[in-house]
Amino acid sequence: MKHNFDFIQNLLGRTVYIDDLPEPANLLHAAVFTSPSAHGSFAGLDLSAALALDPTVRVLTAADIPGQNQLGTAVLDEPMLAEGVWHFRGQVIALVLAGSRSLARRAAAAIKLVGAADRPAVTDPRVAFARGDLILKPRTQRWGDSAAAFALCHLVVSGRADSAGQEHVYLETQGAIALPDDSGGVRLMSGTQGPSGVQKIVARVLGLPMNLVEVETRRMGGAFGGKEDQASGWAALAALGAFATQRPVKIYLSRRDDMTSTGKRHPYSSDFRIGLDKDGKILAFEADYYQNSGAACDLSPAIIPRTLFHAAGAYHIPNVRVTGYLCRTNLVPFTAFRGFGGPQGFFVIEAALDKAAAALGLDPVELRRRNLLREGDVSHYGMPHEGVLATETFERCLARAGYPERRAAIQEYNRTNPASKRGLAVMPVCFGISFTKMMMNQGGALIHVYNDGSVGVSTGATEMGQGVSRKLALIVARALGVSQTAVRVESTRTTTVANTMPTAASTGADINGMAAQLAATEIRQRLLAFAAASLQLDPASLTLRDGQLFADPEPAAGPLLSFAALVAKAYEGRVDLSAHAFFATPGLHYDLATERGCPFAYHVYGCALLTVTVDTLRGRYQFDDAIMVHDTGVSIDPLVDLGQIEGAFAQGLGWAALEDLRFDDKGRLLADTLSTYKLPDGHFMPRLDVEMLQRPNPKAVANSKAVGEPPLMYGIAGWFAIADALRAARPGLELAYDLPMTCEKVLGLLTGDLVPAGPSGGEAGR
Amino acid sequence: MRISLTVNGQRYTVDVAEHKTLLRCLREDLGLTGTKEGCGMGECGACTIIFNGRVVNACMILAVEANGATIETIEGEATGPGLSEIQTALERNNSAQCGFCTPGMVMSIKELLRDKPKPTIDEMKEAIEGNFCRCTGYVQIIEAILDLTGRSAEKGELKHV
Repeated sequence: MKHNFDFIQNLLGRTVYIDDLPEPANLLHAAVFTSPSAHGSFAGLDLSAALALDPTVRVLTAADIPGQNQLGTAVLDEPMLAEGVWHFRGQVIALVLAGSRSLARRAAAAIKLVGAADRPAVTDPRVAFARGDLILKPRTQRWGDSAAAFALCHLVVSGRADSAGQEHVYLETQGAIALPDDSGGVRLMSGTQGPSGVQKIVARVLGLPMNLVEVETRRMGGAFGGKEDQASGWAALAALGAFATQRPVKIYLSRRDDMTSTGKRHPYSSDFRIGLDKDGKILAFEADYYQNSGAACDLSPAIIPRTLFHAAGAYHIPNVRVTGYLCRTNLVPFTAFRGFGGPQGFFVIEAALDKAAAALGLDPVELRRRNLLREGDVSHYGMPHEGVLATETFERCLARAGYPERRAAIQEYNRTNPASKRGLAVMPVCFGISFTKMMMNQGGALIHVYNDGSVGVSTGATEMGQGVSRKLALIVARALGVSQTAVRVESTRTTTVANTMPTAASTGADINGMAAQLAATEIRQRLLAFAAASLQLDPASLTLRDGQLFADPEPAAGPLLSFAALVAKAYEGRVDLSAHAFFATPGLHYDLATERGCPFAYHVYGCALLTVTVDTLRGRYQFDDAIMVHDTGVSIDPLVDLGQIEGAFAQGLGWAALEDLRFDDKGRLLADTLSTYKLPDGHFMPRLDVEMLQRPNPKAVANSKAVGEPPLMYGIAGWFAIADALRAARPGLELAYDLPMTCEKVLGLLTGDLVPAGPSGGEAGR
Repeated sequence: MRISLTVNGQRYTVDVAEHKTLLRCLREDLGLTGTKEGCGMGECGACTIIFNGRVVNACMILAVEANGATIETIEGEATGPGLSEIQTALERNNSAQCGFCTPGMVMSIKELLRDKPKPTIDEMKEAIEGNFCRCTGYVQIIEAILDLTGRSAEKGELKHV
């Protein structure tokens, strides 16, 4: 079979996720008791009704934690179990264990707070900012002199752009199983993107050294960033239960608990100011990003810089001042989600260009074209752009879309259809690849060639559906000259490859793939050296391919040995058939004091053009088609990359148009189930036309490029395409840049019931 | 309560509590964990099975209601050593990523093709509209159904206005 075994097992329904693992006989199930409002305090808990339910019921609180009650990483501000005060609705106060899941959930529901009192809650990041409630000090990037440049501009426009959060909706909710270990520690199976991160948090909570905590991740049923840092708390709760009871404990969140208590994409509220010359060249841009960080730091300080790095979108802007504020509110701690602050930044610059195009009376597509990045342009953080494909992907996309004719056809359609209007938008993307926190750009791999010639690969990469296992198997297979099916990608374990980084920032295949290639090459060289010595041939003449050893000067002579036979002989010859390798992305440097440097190994480029039809009587819309030209480098597995491009686009389009993550002013999530939180379905998706532009990228493994996040940005075109259609329906309509553009909002704009939000307007939590 | 049911051609007799869902019965009592729990509230479709010939969410049916029922799950889909026809088409089109929605998706496609061997693209989308997939964006799944209905040439026409 062509693909690795995981993919086939998925289709057969045989893959094992956390809740599918065989349950040990004495397993306890966990549930959580959580806070009832956005902010409040309590004196204690009344457990009598919960404990009376069943003799197996056990309730653990902060007082039962042997180590530190702390989940924070960048800032230690997030207790695992609330002590005396809670800061968001859904914060975990107690861990409930029982002999069955339903019993545990019933017991959790029977717990009562004693002496509870609500406290005032803040849900709006601008209110938090005004109160000075920032998690860390703001970050500002400056390039050129924006203040001086504005004075020279032909046109200056300013405005506000708000984007809502987004729920990950990984189909498998958060979960973990913890088993007490006879060493005095715990072993865990965790649905996490970062097993080493879970290991560190569990060790801290239990007061153990890390070597007594073993974490394994086989796979996840989706993650999208939601299981980067956010998986650690649930794993640590299971570990606490196992440690306290010395019995295995499983936690698997209900969908409602998961949606209520776990972090999501950050809502942002931003102000922008953009200045252009009379030809539409951008001369200056300033923005202030009020990030709704939620009640705890989580990954917010890493997400703000990615917003700032992507403040200029795919455009060259010579004078920039952008500032990000981490505003602490009483909402769930917001976290990583595919794009990691990038999409919020892109929305603001696109909003600024949209407004500028209208003021200049210039085609928004043409305005974007004039400002695209070019080779050698220096970014506002001082990094020269190399291998720029902004214009090439843009022009190819427009050519595929038949751009001028398409615009004319839409105008004709709009002229002849009173109750239906079409619009289009173009969305160029330039996305930096590497963790913005430099130390995280490292990874390891351990490869075993077993003495029958089969191969096992372990790395720090976790499989969440993105296909990293398929890429790793291909990379190792090529390096060893064997077939992909001879390579098994092992689960990710802290005891096999240690001190790993979460699989995130689109870098999973880049970093772990390079480490795996180095380890495989090491073994290949040992095997060739052994073969050369035992066959008395020049090692340079030997090659491994198609599972065979060849002596290249005489290819007609056929293979000398099969890979398996060579391995068996090498084993007898006492050759080490295992290798570990380490890779740290070279060339990265960044000075936080000056906000200058080279934070990315390279950038990914691309462009999308999206067309929409809006029913102006009902407010409904249908995306007609999306044309994308995406820079994949030399794709390691084109089917995997195509799936990433389409899937990311769907998620981005959902964020821009459909998914309405709304909190009320009491901090309650209004859409906390999948019947109220609308996700993209097959009907929602437009026809897709994707071209993968495969230019070799010398900066990543096998000349490839990272693919996970950048295509999500294309979805932002959805917002602007609808806006384009709305302006055709209501010429002169003033739109608030407020994402998502739901049907409800479209109808409100068409009927005049929805007026643009003023400086103090907007819905709570945005 | 003691119930008897036929799952993938095999007859089972089990004792279940009255409040137990068919989903939990399949997973816990029969060990058929291919059918997934994504929400437990009938909203995501991960637990889609074929129940007396119709697709249902197994989390919305009580096990006791399945007394005497004939049920098909993902475990019964591939009858030989390899993949079934549906699974082969999904493989060819890379229609599964994380795999969590896949078992339910396969069941919905199976029922669609049984009812309508030549569905329109709208009917394909309708058949899987109860099955959320957060990874693929659905296009690769529809393309697999086009392959299954001998209409691979229409892959570029996944338009719905």
